[in-house]
Amino acid sequence: MSLLAPIICDNGTGFSKIGFAGNSDPSFVFPTAIATRGSATQTSRAPAVPAKPGHLASKRGVEDLDFFIGDEALANAKTPGYGVHYPIRHGMIDNWDHMERYWEQTIFKYLRAEPEDHYFLLTEPPLNPPENREQTAEIFFESFNIKGLYIAVQAVLALAASWTSNRQSDRTLTGTVIDSGDGVTHVIPCAEGYVIGSAIKHIPIAGRDITQFVLNLMRERGEMSAVPPEDQLRVASKVKESYSYVCQDIVREFRKYDEEPYKYFERYDGEHSVTGRKYSVDVGYERFLAPEIFFNPEIYSSDFLTPLPEIVDDVIQQSPIDVRRGLYKNIVLSGGSTMFQHFGQRLKRDLKQLVDRRLDASVLASGSLQKSSGVEVEVISHKRQRYAVWFGGSLLASLPDFYSSCHTKAQYDEIGPSICRRYQIFGSAT
Amino acid sequence: MILLDPHNVIIQTTLNEKLVKPSSLDVQFVDYDGVRFHLSTPEKKTVLLLSMHIRCWDELVRYGAIDVLQREYGALLVGQAEQDYNVSLMIDLEQVPAEPEAREAFITSIALFKRNAVAAPFESAFNTQKELEKAEGQQGELMQIHYRDEEAIYIQAAHDRVTVIFSTIFQDETDRIFGKVFLQEFVDARRQPSIQNAPQVLYSSRDPPLEIRHLTNLRNTEDIGYVTFVLFPRHFANPNVASGTISHMQLFRDYLHYHIKCSKAYMHSRMRHRVSEFQKVLNRAKTEVATAERKTVSGRTMMTR
Amino acid sequence: MSNVLRPYLAAVRSTLTAALTLENFSSQVVERHNKPEVETRGSKEVLLNPLTISRNENERVLIEPSVNSIRLSIKIKQADEIERILCHQFTRFMMQRAESFIVLRRKPVSGYDISFLITNTHTETMLKHKIVDFIIQFMEEVDKEISEMKLSLNARARIVAESYLTAVSSGF
Repeated sequence: MSLLAPIICDNGTGFSKIGFAGNSDPSFVFPTAIATRGSATQTSRAPAVPAKPGHLASKRGVEDLDFFIGDEALANAKTPGYGVHYPIRHGMIDNWDHMERYWEQTIFKYLRAEPEDHYFLLTEPPLNPPENREQTAEIFFESFNIKGLYIAVQAVLALAASWTSNRQSDRTLTGTVIDSGDGVTHVIPCAEGYVIGSAIKHIPIAGRDITQFVLNLMRERGEMSAVPPEDQLRVASKVKESYSYVCQDIVREFRKYDEEPYKYFERYDGEHSVTGRKYSVDVGYERFLAPEIFFNPEIYSSDFLTPLPEIVDDVIQQSPIDVRRGLYKNIVLSGGSTMFQHFGQRLKRDLKQLVDRRLDASVLASGSLQKSSGVEVEVISHKRQRYAVWFGGSLLASLPDFYSSCHTKAQYDEIGPSICRRYQIFGSAT
Repeated sequence: MILLDPHNVIIQTTLNEKLVKPSSLDVQFVDYDGVRFHLSTPEKKTVLLLSMHIRCWDELVRYGAIDVLQREYGALLVGQAEQDYNVSLMIDLEQVPAEPEAREAFITSIALFKRNAVAAPFESAFNTQKELEKAEGQQGELMQIHYRDEEAIYIQAAHDRVTVIFSTIFQDETDRIFGKVFLQEFVDARRQPSIQNAPQVLYSSRDPPLEIRHLTNLRNTEDIGYVTFVLFPRHFANPNVASGTISHMQLFRDYLHYHIKCSKAYMHSRMRHRVSEFQKVLNRAKTEVATAERKTVSGRTMMTR
Repeated sequence: MSNVLRPYLAAVRSTLTAALTLENFSSQVVERHNKPEVETRGSKEVLLNPLTISRNENERVLIEPSVNSIRLSIKIKQADEIERILCHQFTRFMMQRAESFIVLRRKPVSGYDISFLITNTHTETMLKHKIVDFIIQFMEEVDKEISEMKLSLNARARIVAESYLTAVSSGF
């Protein structure tokens, strides 16, 4: 039988991206949520009482099959008797029982694949403890008998996703990844496929905050008075997704809007989700102010004040000196909150200014004797940014090297879960 | 979820999506038993090409798969299948019925593409049985469908019954033992009064049942087993019941394996629970008061060794 | 706990309690080494006579004492194929987490299903009688757990088979 495509499973805190290698988009994107019987707090499992023989109605013994995942889980959240759980917290698996069943249904109900016939590529956050890898391997090899497993770090996959040219020599796994999802933004430096753990930085500003900020702005201007309260957050997130862009200079942008408001103001038309009543709102300054909170966080929060370019610069300066050039040259964006128009250009410009200023200062300090040849700063934006991690996985899993880098079931049976503590990096030119 | 659905979810969701907003597409995905699908828009955004590759296609064709598909899909069927695939459907999104109910029925029927193809030998067996009804002692052709590398379905019609035999192989020792328990229950379950009408189930390990004993291409190893379902006319007399029976029979192996996996997952969660209980008992032995587990903001645990 | 099991566990308990007289003891063979003597088996005079307590041919406990460590290995009752695989799964699952069960050995002694290694460090940092309690409770519950797992497997199998056959016989 010809080999069936490997399955790529990127389970994030908010959403899971699942699909087959070789495709450019995941087949399923749904919330990493599971709705199980019983209250949300009761997690302990009393030993199941065996079913009374001969009665179908007494479903005791298989109550663990009574659950929903993804969108169905959220749809069933209000059904009495069900509680919704989120098995992943901060990128790491928190509840293994729920996660195992989540995977079970992902594979059998949604993908309709027999795990025995497939290789799997899973993702993990940077600095995931090796014990978690072992437990994941235990579930996948022992419960599901999968053919082979590869666990990759999300940031490394995001780097792979940015390989635009087909030339092998351009494929590098050195670079800085800016991964911004719904909950948190990370800046992660990678050198030749390995994450430089000590230099990772987190920024507490991400998609959710931007939406909130848009909402605040529109409320202050009084636009939201036309919108029913339960729809406001949804409208704000729609506005953010469809109209926002990054400007190069706020002051000039404000002036432009004030001179020709009709040219720049947009109208958003919505419909009440319950009554169907139509309403419309004006979208103004929030178009460029929303993503601005990455570059001038003081306009949104009072406790986090460092702009993104400075954080990126810090991260790179904390990394080993011999990879810094590579890190500046290959800054890769990943995740939905980096999708704003011109985000990359603005980041590149601000970062370049920081770097040049430092170079000038060091030239001055050395008495103009040592002159640097300059540092190349490049921010890479591409089409697949939203599901970059998944796409990177799909790309890597379609390389012929993938199968030899996987750990197979036979190897697992021979050595045990500890085999999954280490995975070979592959695919890059070096 | 106890029973598996016969339709493919990816086809269903993709079609629903594309009907709302057509866009260019090129995806490959799979279904049970190594079936591969390719869904693409080769010419324009509103015309989808769905191609399927089944391992045992030649066998299915011999048992009338083309006719069944022709009946189900009519004009949608493309004469020349896409390269590397066995059969293709051309779906014009502009021709899809607009009424919600008709539209849903249409999408469901497309999502049952694989089910309909594999249904052919079953349908032919059911028909043969009807023809043989008068001729007692006669038997229909023994149909073999090698739907997986090492496993096959054998279907044979007789004057009063249709026999379906699955050969099963378990790769893994644990699966083999769990599978035995499950199959034994399949055999015994019929004793329950509520399901006396169910097909009779027989299970034998290693020795092939009488119907297929003469075949030469059988594997003769320790790990093989045979599950026999004896379907009586009441299971397929009515077309609705027959189609339900076919859907369930096709998914038998997947159903079995799904539940073996689920049981193992359940055992894992039991063991996790039990191990944490033991852990608590052992922790009671520690003299100093154990401090609560401390976690950083990113969820990492701080440990002292 | 059944009455039949009680004398068996009582014997294990008293033997184990008696054997848990451990002291810090440096290696006599290698300078600056301090390893569990029962594992290194470097010098004969520090090893005591191993002892087997068996309930029947399928259930027994091996206790190997030495001056600074004792090793206790348990053979768990396995009546049939299913119990054998469940027992294997359970012990492997537990040994995979040996890190947090400080007294658990990562591999069983050959001929047994699970082994514990208790050293003088353990008896110094933990309450001796509680360690014994743990072992006894483990022995008590592991049998129960395995037979419960077997029962629930059978129950599941029955429900699964019934659901399938009901679906086939009703046509939906």
